[in-house]
Amino acid sequence: MTLQETIAAVLLAAGCLFYIAGTIGLLRFPDVYSRLHALTKADNLGLLLVASGLAVQSGSLRIGAVLLIVWLLGLLAATVSCHLIARHALHATPPERRP
Amino acid sequence: MIEIAIDLIIAMGVVGLALQTILGASVFRAILMFIVFGLLMAMAWARLHAPDLALAEAAIGAGITGALLLVTWRRLQAMDGRTPRVGIAARAPWLSIASGIFAAALIVALGWVSLSLPAEPAAAGELAWQRLPEVGVSNPVTGVLLAFRAYDTLMEMGVLLAAWLGARAVASELRPGALPGPAHAEVPLVGALLSLVVPISLLVAVYLLQAGGSAPGGAFQGGAVLAAGGVLLCLSGRLEAAERSSITERIGLVLGLAVFSCIGLVMLFMGEPMLAMPGVWAIYLVETALLLSIALTLVLLFAAAPGLRRAP
Amino acid sequence: MNTTALIYLLTAAAVFGIGVHGLLQARQVLRQLLAINLMGGAIFLLLITLGGGAVGPPDPVPQAMVLTGIVIAVSATAFALALLLRLQDATGTSELDPNDGA
Repeated sequence: MTLQETIAAVLLAAGCLFYIAGTIGLLRFPDVYSRLHALTKADNLGLLLVASGLAVQSGSLRIGAVLLIVWLLGLLAATVSCHLIARHALHATPPERRP
Repeated sequence: MIEIAIDLIIAMGVVGLALQTILGASVFRAILMFIVFGLLMAMAWARLHAPDLALAEAAIGAGITGALLLVTWRRLQAMDGRTPRVGIAARAPWLSIASGIFAAALIVALGWVSLSLPAEPAAAGELAWQRLPEVGVSNPVTGVLLAFRAYDTLMEMGVLLAAWLGARAVASELRPGALPGPAHAEVPLVGALLSLVVPISLLVAVYLLQAGGSAPGGAFQGGAVLAAGGVLLCLSGRLEAAERSSITERIGLVLGLAVFSCIGLVMLFMGEPMLAMPGVWAIYLVETALLLSIALTLVLLFAAAPGLRRAP
Repeated sequence: MNTTALIYLLTAAAVFGIGVHGLLQARQVLRQLLAINLMGGAIFLLLITLGGGAVGPPDPVPQAMVLTGIVIAVSATAFALALLLRLQDATGTSELDPNDGA
């Protein structure tokens, strides 16, 4: 295993760990807000690690740039959809039961 | 070994999600499960060496179909109670058990038969590979779609247009165009997202169209991505239903069919077989027209409106 | 027959059967549409696996047919959804009466 492959493998494994953590949070946390927190925080970082792992593995600047765009778009979509879901959940609960 | 494990995980996920889709407690849940089913199917296509299908499934099968199902579910809820309900007789419970037994027998029979069939490319596929250089594109799927079986693609556009006309004919006076429910309160983040994502959807659509000649992609995938941008504009209230189709929209709806048929007929008069493509430029011209028509038809189907206009 | 082809053929058979069961026992039309779409997906999977997708690039002819099929499926679904809106408007419910018009 070359140094490049080792770095890629470590990054991919770390990314998967974040995904697992985020998924456990999604399944186990009690309410919408903490679930969203687990999902977006952990998965954004997981996606970054997986994308950089793949970029290192490919060893190509072009693929690295494409993966960077993928991560940025994922980040944007996750941020906005998380915000909209949280907003909807907040409006759907009566004021006295809001956290 | 690891590949078999990945295949098994995808297969179990696909079957599990299909079960969840038909057993889901609420219709909303069933639709969500179906969308995830489509995404997992896209991974199955990637594993089966069919990236063109993976793109199409993710964009059309999961994306556009999912958006259509969800928006219809929402509209049905809004219409609930508008008309008095017609009483419907309950169904005998043994029917469900009988259909379950029938389906199980069908699974066994279908599995048994399909396992005895040869799983390899047939003669037509081999011929398509051999004659691909004559067409001028190196993606075999694009070659088959626009050169070897062009009439299929032409009829497909006909079906898409017929579906839109049919939807207009049956639901035109219902005016379900405007989305009801929680006010489309202007959230600042949505504006920022749109200003980035809509231009990117246009860029990706053009890229997919151009790449379709030699790499995975093509008019259908590109059209679906462009339609996704349009759906976002409708959802956020930037575009709203108009009373009538504008002349531009009418041209756009038939553009794919018209350009395709024109080239086909011109070639017929020049003594070539009908729908023969005179060159690579013609393939790209037809694909561009198809992309615009597909995107516009899908957005109008989503909006359930004859036309769209900018919201004031 | 290699293992990948075996897995996906059996998956296709299972999803088709699940779709048939869903279509027969569902009450709401929306669920029946989902079931029909599942059956379509299963057939696409069957075509591509039998076209040799498990060992290498599958036969381009069934690939093009499936691509066409995906677009036809979304067209048919969209038309059916418009009919469903009409049904809801006319009867006040999005279910079909199993004893009606038989």
